Amino acid sequence: MTHNGLRFQVASKWQDSFRRFNQREPGISGLIAFSQAWDTATEFLKPRNINEPLPPREYTEAVRAALDVIHKSRRLPTLIETFLSQVESQFYLIQQEIDQFMIDYALDLDVCVISTMILRIHEWMKQWTPATELGSAFQTVYINFFQTHLFSILPDSFSSAFQDFVASTLPPEEEGEAQKQDPQIWFTFDALGLNDRFDSLIASVGYEHIERHVLETCTGQWGEPMLTPTRDWMTTKIVPWMLYVYGRNARTAEEARAILAGVGSRFDFHMAKTLCDLRTREIFDIIIDFPDSTGALQDLKECLQRVDQRAALVQSLRQAHRKRLLHPGADTKLILSQYVATIKCLRIIDPPGVLLFKVADPIRRYLRDRPDTIRSIVANLVGDDDSGDALVDETEPPRPLQAADIEDYSDPNWEPEPIDAGPDFRANKPSDIISTLVSIYDSKDFFVKELQVLLAQRLLAAGDDQSDKVEKERRNIEILKIRFGEAALQVCEVMLKDMTDSKRIDQHIQSQQASVIHPAIISKHFWPALESSEIVMPGQLKELQDQYMAEFTKFKPDKKLRWLTHLGTVNVELELEDRVIEALVSPLEAAVIELFSEQSEWTLDGISKRLGLPQPNILSKAISTWLDLGVLAPAGEGVYRVLEVSADQGAEAKDHVSRPATTVEVEMPPVVSVQQQQAEQMRVYWKFIEGMLTNLGALPLDRIQTMLKFAPGYDRTITQLAGFMEAARREDLVTVRDGMWKLNK
Amino acid sequence: MEQLTSSLAPPRSNNKSNVAGTPQPAAGSVAKRLSNELMTLMMSSSPGISAFPRNDGNLFDWVGTIEGPAETIYVGLTFRISIAFPPNYPYVAPTIKFETPCYHPNVDINSGAICLDILQDKWSAVYSVQTILISLQSLLGEPNNASPLNPDAASLWDNPEAFKMQVTKHYRPLKDESA
Repeated sequence: MTHNGLRFQVASKWQDSFRRFNQREPGISGLIAFSQAWDTATEFLKPRNINEPLPPREYTEAVRAALDVIHKSRRLPTLIETFLSQVESQFYLIQQEIDQFMIDYALDLDVCVISTMILRIHEWMKQWTPATELGSAFQTVYINFFQTHLFSILPDSFSSAFQDFVASTLPPEEEGEAQKQDPQIWFTFDALGLNDRFDSLIASVGYEHIERHVLETCTGQWGEPMLTPTRDWMTTKIVPWMLYVYGRNARTAEEARAILAGVGSRFDFHMAKTLCDLRTREIFDIIIDFPDSTGALQDLKECLQRVDQRAALVQSLRQAHRKRLLHPGADTKLILSQYVATIKCLRIIDPPGVLLFKVADPIRRYLRDRPDTIRSIVANLVGDDDSGDALVDETEPPRPLQAADIEDYSDPNWEPEPIDAGPDFRANKPSDIISTLVSIYDSKDFFVKELQVLLAQRLLAAGDDQSDKVEKERRNIEILKIRFGEAALQVCEVMLKDMTDSKRIDQHIQSQQASVIHPAIISKHFWPALESSEIVMPGQLKELQDQYMAEFTKFKPDKKLRWLTHLGTVNVELELEDRVIEALVSPLEAAVIELFSEQSEWTLDGISKRLGLPQPNILSKAISTWLDLGVLAPAGEGVYRVLEVSADQGAEAKDHVSRPATTVEVEMPPVVSVQQQQAEQMRVYWKFIEGMLTNLGALPLDRIQTMLKFAPGYDRTITQLAGFMEAARREDLVTVRDGMWKLNK
Repeated sequence: MEQLTSSLAPPRSNNKSNVAGTPQPAAGSVAKRLSNELMTLMMSSSPGISAFPRNDGNLFDWVGTIEGPAETIYVGLTFRISIAFPPNYPYVAPTIKFETPCYHPNVDINSGAICLDILQDKWSAVYSVQTILISLQSLLGEPNNASPLNPDAASLWDNPEAFKMQVTKHYRPLKDESA
């Protein structure tokens, strides 16, 4: 039964198919007709080798009729399949050609080869395209098939070759050698589906071009903003190119604009990013060049709004600072001026100050650890002569120091903190530079103390032409008063007053009895601790001092004059046998040479005993000054003798005589520095620590810290205390066990 | 009674102590006087005597240390005392007790109470912690046997060796622990 059933089924199928092909024609004539029609159609569609001369294909009536027959027999899909397999079998022709082209290209890297090749492939494709009359579906299938095959046979080297070709279509930098642009080639690409497939490649060519241009034109160009010129360049150079590549199908300018909008903004973004990266890399030097690099900062500001590279900028700048700024080789003044420049620059880039806060933090921490930071800042505040350019803008009016203010939420202009602000970000309101610098430290007292020390040095070094300099200092102090407040600078006020007072007192005393001494009379309590000295002035110097002292006591009986003999200068005139030497020297040097007027030969020990100096080595500098001037000469080990007759006779001797007053460099008066004063304070605190450890037994560090608030004015941090205790431990004053500090008895 | 240390404490702890209790008008000045005394005592470096507040935040409760003076029976021993200042100090004498048991004619061996004229009827506002400590130190070497708190000790005083034995028997060395 099954056998018969199967047979019946096959028979019915057969009959069915036969009827379909035969189209109810008598006999098998229908079948024959179909067979002929199939042959005609396949012959018509057959992909031919275009290298062979061929008659042009014509869509004749016969072909149409044949296709009609096939269509009626519902055999069109089979026809397409047959056609495609024919195409496939013919594809080796194209492959051969492509291989040949690629070999040619590999030889001389001429991009023309690529364009020829692409045009050639296109020709193949056109040649094989089924006639439009067959319907669009037929064509779509064909094109897809052709493209798929084409991509599969394109060698790996094609993509780089294609990239080179695309690059060659870019507008050249120089106007002269403008290449002929053939918009047709882009249509060919489109037809072959190359545009879609190599879209990212084409874009990358564009990106690279832009990158190159930006790097070439903008690197190191900080004076002017480069963003606008670069955008102009994009408009004149890149946009026409983009029109070919992306906007070729646009019929109107409107359409082109719509098409280009998306890709254009991608290109613009890339340009901004490249510029931003470049400026980020250069940021440290840009800051150094400030204010000549304002243009670059403007660029950076605009770019940062376009691309989110703020974190990268912070990173880069912090790294640069770590590498180039915050190391022992950098001068504190340099760090400070760079910090100030950084503040100014980042204010331009990012007015809310988030970037600045992030970047400034390491600098501030570093500066806090430097011992001479305060001194540098203060020296700058008072406008020290030797400090190159001032950190402070002279045109900026001095303002009082600003304390970090609490946020005022009732402020109608209140804005939330920027989104990338850290948790401990303090809105740095546009305060002035000095406030920012002073705020490196927790307390401005350090500054005031250092200021006193500095002022003391400068006033004492003022020398004879005091009034001018004192006036200048007074002006400085007045300005600083606005910043630090009247009360903080009262001591400085007294110091300045001392200077004018001593001038007045001196005038009075001179009127009573003329003296060559013009002392600066300072009030001990208001001046920073000055190093005392035990020099006993010899001979006439002593007499002069005593005379002056006597007059002073007459004038002010309730006051006592105590000489700081090692400070000041002495103008001496030495009369020797053959010459007269004038020199401006330190008191110690004067004292030394005065001794030689008593006897012509002295030993080093003898001098030091006579002057009351415990260490003879301090003398060596004073001695060497006179040796240099040719007044003294060594006479044996540690013995010196006056050269009454100059050692170098003749013409040179005359030079000596006529030599103008030799000015010996006078050093800054040694004022006990803030650090030393701090050590002094720490000694007081040590008494307290000793007291508490004696009475309360062993204590942990934090307990000592809290107990130390019984000590007046204690303001150390626990870290400082730890350092101090550690130092005490090294001196075996205390021991520590399990964090408990104990007196070492 | 919450003591005030407003003149010394930094602002944050200041708030805390201000919350409780009505501030006595004189408390601030008492604290100031005590902190001055502390400063003087710390800087004076008198040998063998010392004192310091027991806790931060309370200037009215001190711990003192007295070393037995040389050439007395107490040489080599260290005594700890407690000093409690009344709120109306210095018009009233501070309460002072030996924390280390001290066998002494004028010291109660159990409570540590001291019989010393300047701490009772002879007190004057010009005395200070330092003068009290010096007086106590000298009291160790020169007891007032006329008004003994510890009659046994008073009677034993003339026999230095037996006395020394009693002292050593009662004495306990200081432990090094925070108060």
